[in-house]
Amino acid sequence: MSQPIDNLEEAVARLHVASKSSSAYESGPRKVVGKSAERLDAVEKATGETKYGQDLFDKKFLFAKVLRAAHPHAEILRIDTREAKKLPGVVAVITHSDVTGTNMHGLIRRDQEVLCSRKVRYLGDALAVVVAKTEEIAIEALGRIKVDYKPLPNILTMEDALKPDAPKIHTEGNVLGEKHLRRGDAPAAMREADVVVEDIIQTQTVDHAFLDLEAGRARYDGKMLTIEVAGQWLHEERRLIALAIGLPLEQLRLIQPATGGAFGGREDISIQIYLSLAALKLKGKTICLRYSRSESMVARHKRHPMRVHYKLGAKKDGTLVAAQVTFYVDKGAYASTGIAAMRKASSHATGPYKVPNVWADVIGVFTNNNPCGAMRGFGAVQTAIAYEGLMDRLAVKLGMDKAELRMKNLIHSGDAVTTGQIVPNATGVECFEAVLKKIDWKNRSYETAAPHLKRGYGVSVICFGLGYGDGFPDASRARCKLTADGMVEVYSSGIDVGQGLINMIAQIVAEEVGVPLERVRPILADTQLTPESGSTSATRQTYFTGSAVQLAASELKKQLQDIAAAHLEELVYEIKIDNGEAYNVFRPERRLTLRELAREGKRRGFSLEAMGVYKPPTVPEDTATGQSMRAFVTYLFGSHACQVLVDTETGEVKVERYIACHDVGKAINPDQVIGQIQGGVTQGIGMVLMEEVVMKDGKIMNPGFTDYILPTIRDVPEIECIVLENPDPGGPFGARGVGEPPLIACGPAVMSAIQDAIGKPIRILPATPERVWRTISEK
Amino acid sequence: MTKRITVILNNETRSLDVEPNDILLNVLRETLGVKSPKIGCERGDCGACTVLLDGKTVRTCLILAVEVDGHEITTLEGLSQSGLTPVQQSLLKHNSFQCGFCAPGMVLSATELLGKNPSPSQDEVKEAISGNLCRCTGYEPVIDAIVAVGKKAGKRV
Repeated sequence: MSQPIDNLEEAVARLHVASKSSSAYESGPRKVVGKSAERLDAVEKATGETKYGQDLFDKKFLFAKVLRAAHPHAEILRIDTREAKKLPGVVAVITHSDVTGTNMHGLIRRDQEVLCSRKVRYLGDALAVVVAKTEEIAIEALGRIKVDYKPLPNILTMEDALKPDAPKIHTEGNVLGEKHLRRGDAPAAMREADVVVEDIIQTQTVDHAFLDLEAGRARYDGKMLTIEVAGQWLHEERRLIALAIGLPLEQLRLIQPATGGAFGGREDISIQIYLSLAALKLKGKTICLRYSRSESMVARHKRHPMRVHYKLGAKKDGTLVAAQVTFYVDKGAYASTGIAAMRKASSHATGPYKVPNVWADVIGVFTNNNPCGAMRGFGAVQTAIAYEGLMDRLAVKLGMDKAELRMKNLIHSGDAVTTGQIVPNATGVECFEAVLKKIDWKNRSYETAAPHLKRGYGVSVICFGLGYGDGFPDASRARCKLTADGMVEVYSSGIDVGQGLINMIAQIVAEEVGVPLERVRPILADTQLTPESGSTSATRQTYFTGSAVQLAASELKKQLQDIAAAHLEELVYEIKIDNGEAYNVFRPERRLTLRELAREGKRRGFSLEAMGVYKPPTVPEDTATGQSMRAFVTYLFGSHACQVLVDTETGEVKVERYIACHDVGKAINPDQVIGQIQGGVTQGIGMVLMEEVVMKDGKIMNPGFTDYILPTIRDVPEIECIVLENPDPGGPFGARGVGEPPLIACGPAVMSAIQDAIGKPIRILPATPERVWRTISEK
Repeated sequence: MTKRITVILNNETRSLDVEPNDILLNVLRETLGVKSPKIGCERGDCGACTVLLDGKTVRTCLILAVEVDGHEITTLEGLSQSGLTPVQQSLLKHNSFQCGFCAPGMVLSATELLGKNPSPSQDEVKEAISGNLCRCTGYEPVIDAIVAVGKKAGKRV
């Protein structure tokens, strides 16, 4: 989307983007980037040939199963595996005493035992791994392991965990940590505000519910332990496995099978360490392990339930003056990535709104519920539901149109967000204007077919810092190579979990080098072959790995231009590579194909390989104030609008119309961008209307899709997408990313529409028919 | 306790011994080596294990192998034997799959629908696909793809 350059920021932005391209003569329209090329792995998916973790099994392999805790909170007195070992067909029973490494794991804090030795903290804690000739025998053997426990009081709520005399779940206590943000003097500003609204919003425990259950295999040949399990950051998983089992990094190889969704659910390590322990013990044997759906739900971390106390103050005209926010975060039993999710909450406490005085405090509390960690939206989802919910309450109190209130307070380019970081390219207003226009906000109709049916309209605007930020090292690496058969291979450890990373990478390489897409061969996610590309999370792969890939491709192209210049005896800066052929722009008759370039390059001693590293720095947030000049590398903006119909007799909510607008910088593959938006909105609708992991006494009462309700084709309206492309200086071809924002913006929009329809806010999620009906019925 | 059963799997007659409690999905995947039906929920909720049994979609996680003795089963391995079918082609064209795990079930549910009803309406498509969960997309490209096959077929008539 070419726009006139009207400010310096943008001019600089363009300069940065342009500098990645290597030829002076490349100003024409893009040939591959920006096109909805068919997914490179699409045919094998449509024919069912794709091999996911569960498809790697064979009857001739050994099968492992994991023994889980029988109590949510208990001391382990004794583990007796003798009877299990006697069962014919059982090959090995492994407990903590067999583990030669640290036996600990955890992404940020290694606080979880792989196989528990002294204590269990939730029902998903593992105590033993049984390996047997068949899965059935392994399951039978689990029942023969005797564990003596001394049950401890279950800590099931944050209130109980924070009582002074509460039993300690971890030796250091029941508080994981705190995050604080201090910007201006919020209490003083609040006292002077004309209008103050205050509320408590409670979000629920949510499951990722990817369809492809945890499954995979491992084998140790005495030199190399090879693990084929879907993760989200192979190199980090390799580090965790190495520490836990006590094997050098060089002896571990992780290969990603095809992956059926992740959504943050594969960020915490799952079956990888159990498989590694079994394989290490049984040299030369291939071990398989898979979870059932219920085991998957019981073992895996969840989205943090948060209780958000939010106070918002404004002037009479709607200008925001102060926000005071306290987040109580149920961590469950282990730290996981919780401290980072908590920091995401504080750093996004007022979203895309300009609030001069903000105080936010986040406290993470351990309980004996499922550990909570990464899930798409990562702390920003709950936060957006809270700040947008309060904006709606403020609009009601002021008697002001809620769109007008938002528009008045949105940040513009050059304004700061909660962390004090100046956002040079803030496009929340643009996104918001687009959805308001599309839904025809001014002329919205509340007419319905019957009096018990009430219509409502909701809006949301969000911003989202992508990447890890906070000064954490965040890097992607990629390698490009021209093969003798004239293929451009690109190596990256970025993971295609379904979002379309394979095309993102291949299309960038094709565009940058100047070859047709079918000449690019992506080689992904194998620690033996591919360089580290960070995690596939935080909406960072397009921005980080896409940039690394572009840099590598650009370097490779320079070599190809040098080769062509030498061979054709032409000036290098006049060499163009287009459609897989190199030639002088002024004498295009003489051309070199990719095969010829490879042959000539080899003869002339070129490496025909190039590496790209992308590692933009961020600045740690001050621990006392949460302020940072660059908390995140860049921000994403989005806005949604929707129309719902509430049946006030049944409490059912039907989403009738949905509009989503996101500024993605540049859509490398527009169809895939739209796929991400529609999928994110669908998960958002699921979260606010139906999904909830119901915990009772530390036990998940609905560990399957019969009772954990997911949106079906009947629950989702047509999702109208508007994709804006304001280029980002740091992203490949100006691209920013799109993974998480659609889910973040959806929840608040639907909640806003329900409030509009029934005249009251829903304070506890999800807004199930019963809860909506009860809210309507409350006096 | 084993029982010998004979099935016509993807146009090929196969005889095998099964236990009376063997689940058809496991027998297909582990004994017969047909891996396209997926294990997603193990209790009929997600539709990833869908196959055509005598032309009708069934959830193989809910069926015992002994029940299909003498019957005909079609999976994606059979459906794609002579190249991509129009519905597969349309699904590809519409970018209908992300992770692709639900694809085998979706393709077969769509195949059954189009067999009975060559030009289905959007609502008929929704009804046919309502038992197939997808966690990645918003279902829209799936609906569009199947409706488009119907429209094309309608034109040909």
